[in-house]
Amino acid sequence: MFHILVAVADRERHGYAIMQDVQARTDGALRLGPGTLYGSIKRMLHEGLIEELDDRPDPENDDVRRRYYRITPAGRRIAKQESARLAKLLRQARATGLAPKTA
Amino acid sequence: MRWPERLYRALLRCYPAEFRDEYASEMAQSFRDQASAAPSARLWRDLLADVALTAPKEHAHVLMNDLRYTARMIRKAPAFTTAVVLTVALGIGANTAIFTFVYAEMLRALPFAEPNRLMQLAEKNDTLHLPNFGASVLNYLSWSEQTQTFERLGAMGFASFNLSGQGDPEQFTGSPISPSLMPLLGVKPVAGRAFLDGEDKPGSAPVVMISEGLWTRRFGREPSLVGRNLTINGIDYTVVGIAPPALGLLTGGDIWIPLTIDPGRENRLNHVIQVFGRLKPGVNATQAQAELDTVATRVGQQYPEVKDWGIHLLTMSDAFVGPQLRVGLLVLLGAVGCVLLIACANIANLLLARAASREKEIAIRTAMGASQSRLLRQLLAESIVLSMLGGGLGMLGAVWAVRAINGTLPPNLLPVPDVGVDATVLLFAVGMTVITGVLFGIAPAWHGAKADLNAMLKQSARTTGGSRSRLRSGLAAAELALATVLLIGAGLLGQSLLELQRVRLGFQPDGLMTFQLSLPAAKYPGDKGSAFYRELLESLRTVPGIRDAAISSGLPFGAGNYTTTPIGTVGKSVLPAGTAIPIDWRIVSPDFFRTLGIPLLRGRAFTDADDAAALSVVIVSQATAQKFWGTDDPIGRELLRAKDVKGRTVVGVVGDVRSTALNRESPTLYYPSPRGIWPLMDVVVRTNGQPESVLPGIRQKVRALDSELPLANVRPMGEWVANNAAQPRLNATLLAVFAGFALLIAAVGTYGVLAYSVSQRTREIGLRIALGAQRGRVLRLVVRGGMTMALAGIGIGVACALGLSRVLATLVFGVPVRDPATFVTVTLVLTIVALAACLVPAVRASRVDPMVSLREE
Repeated sequence: MFHILVAVADRERHGYAIMQDVQARTDGALRLGPGTLYGSIKRMLHEGLIEELDDRPDPENDDVRRRYYRITPAGRRIAKQESARLAKLLRQARATGLAPKTA
Repeated sequence: MRWPERLYRALLRCYPAEFRDEYASEMAQSFRDQASAAPSARLWRDLLADVALTAPKEHAHVLMNDLRYTARMIRKAPAFTTAVVLTVALGIGANTAIFTFVYAEMLRALPFAEPNRLMQLAEKNDTLHLPNFGASVLNYLSWSEQTQTFERLGAMGFASFNLSGQGDPEQFTGSPISPSLMPLLGVKPVAGRAFLDGEDKPGSAPVVMISEGLWTRRFGREPSLVGRNLTINGIDYTVVGIAPPALGLLTGGDIWIPLTIDPGRENRLNHVIQVFGRLKPGVNATQAQAELDTVATRVGQQYPEVKDWGIHLLTMSDAFVGPQLRVGLLVLLGAVGCVLLIACANIANLLLARAASREKEIAIRTAMGASQSRLLRQLLAESIVLSMLGGGLGMLGAVWAVRAINGTLPPNLLPVPDVGVDATVLLFAVGMTVITGVLFGIAPAWHGAKADLNAMLKQSARTTGGSRSRLRSGLAAAELALATVLLIGAGLLGQSLLELQRVRLGFQPDGLMTFQLSLPAAKYPGDKGSAFYRELLESLRTVPGIRDAAISSGLPFGAGNYTTTPIGTVGKSVLPAGTAIPIDWRIVSPDFFRTLGIPLLRGRAFTDADDAAALSVVIVSQATAQKFWGTDDPIGRELLRAKDVKGRTVVGVVGDVRSTALNRESPTLYYPSPRGIWPLMDVVVRTNGQPESVLPGIRQKVRALDSELPLANVRPMGEWVANNAAQPRLNATLLAVFAGFALLIAAVGTYGVLAYSVSQRTREIGLRIALGAQRGRVLRLVVRGGMTMALAGIGIGVACALGLSRVLATLVFGVPVRDPATFVTVTLVLTIVALAACLVPAVRASRVDPMVSLREE
């Protein structure tokens, strides 16, 4: 879910673009299947973390079937909290020598 | 579309419909993208894993939503929920309770190895109308030698045993069994060993097996009991083993000894044992019956005295459960099935009525994009949740009901005891509950889901319920039809019970006390038994409160010996020369008739002078006399048993007595007791009032004569008689209860349908009244509509009952199965109930205020 939020944080993306983005950012370690992706999208829409766009951002270069999603303010808040939590965890890991000092 | 995408789209059908509607095309799109980027086996593997992982999750999600929604609906309508849950609980509870008994008695496998290969081999005699009779020892030996279709045969007899020596003397029933019987059944002793071949030879050392119950109760499960001696009937027997419960299930009783066979002392016409056999693998009952027919013919040619006797093969479950109990259970099962169907129809009606009031809600949901299948599932989920709630309650009720019924049943009524609600029964109940939910939910759900959106959203959509109201009327009519069938059945069985209780027994059971004694042959050889009883009867008469005392080899309805044998006449008879007919016979003491209050119609009673030499005198019951000699005077005529050479002279005629079953006449023949004492005898005393009050006196007198002699089956005669009517009483009571439920539910259903249709037609009725229709006409209009439906239902019910009446034939006594009075009464009762149910809404309709009803719109 966090991965999807990150994927739609900076720009609107359609489903396949989210899959590609997640796969690229995790160097292929995380491959979202369509079922997993759309199941998560459905719940995130329901919880108001993301929203569906009414108009296509790039009409001439696109298929009418595609739907685009973007992060909502609530989703952004949640994503920030999660990022902060992860960052804190990473700091602690570095302090105890579990993780290298620099990325 | 290329085939990989088509395949993927097919795979997507694993997801719930609404998920597909929402995302299937997107997912197909992303599939196209992925396939063009990396068309590989790995992609398919990932996709399959993805579907397998996420499709169930989506379904669970939808289900949770449905359940949450249902919970909200249930909370919003507590009265409706309660009505439905209670109705389901009633239906499921009654079905589970009755099924518990049906399962235990008829369906559960008997605790023997491969029970479907086990058979009972009974003797039959068509000329004597004896379809299912005991076997003789010599015939059993002949069959064992000749049969090729059975692996082996085994046999059992009946006996009673006095156990003495340690603690109070006690009397037990039990069986002599052939050593082959336990291996035949495939059962093993709990401890020790079974009987060995050869232990059944005359003169071999006495050995005994006892039941686990007796071992526990009397000997504290002491392992060292095996190998020790017990004094039984005055003889020392070595305990070789503890018998398994399964053996007791077949033979009854607590003590088993080997069935000693001394062919020289046996008679081929002495039907004293029951024979069982295990079919060879691959042989079926028909083949075995065919072979046994030829065996019986061969034996008959060899021994002409048994030429009329054949062999009747019974399955083990037929041998266990008699036709009356079987039919009784099935009728009850059918009855509770009807109750459940009525309940379903009624709930379906309630749901339909509610669906009407929810039309708006459903229309809005449809408009919001809920798919039809989604609505259908939602509505079904609601009905299944409702039925689950009711089913759970019903199962609790069933556990209680089974316990209650068990408590009221006399012992020995059910051939397989320990009836309880077990896993199979619960599984049945759960299955039944789900089916019930679907059954009552499907029609309303279907109607709800396919409802016409446009028509429903329009304010004036009062007429949308056309097909729905037809459906509801049909359901109500079906309820009434089923209720009619049940009421007629209950009426017939109820009348049968009354008839049974009205039956003239032929003797006075009130004030009689009975018990059994078993004199050990070792202690009472020869004449000593007769002398003992003569002395006992004399001393019993001195007990305060006892007026008379007598003995019999088998009292009416008692636990004594049931004996019947073919009897013919010497000389003139109304029967064709040489014919014999089965007649019950009993050995009785001289005062037997006076003690029981059986009238002496002609001739004389027995006297103490009718001793050994005069064993040739008999007394016959009136029906026996009529069967042999019609209206001629029977005194001085002679009778003879098939195995006798010399006739016996009739010295008296007594009144007829019902002795084996309330619904069967028993022509009887009485032999005098002075010499012909049986090992087991019934003793009966007539008291001045309370039979129990004389018990201490009786025990004291018996102990004074023989301190080692136990009293068994101590009971007032009234109890024996009541037990005999126990099954008909249970059948009639339960059926009456079920019919009552059915009538109540059906009446409520009829009322509900009409009340609803009146409330729906308020506007139309108001308009009619405003236009000048008389209120009486409105009343008639509504009543006519309701009664057309009700009478159709009742008519169908009567037709079904006529068709089913033959099923009841074995249970009905004293009334014709198509008794016009019952049919007419039930029809009237139902018509009146239906009329009452119609009148309430009709009166309400006729009081409609046109102004109010028109303003409502």
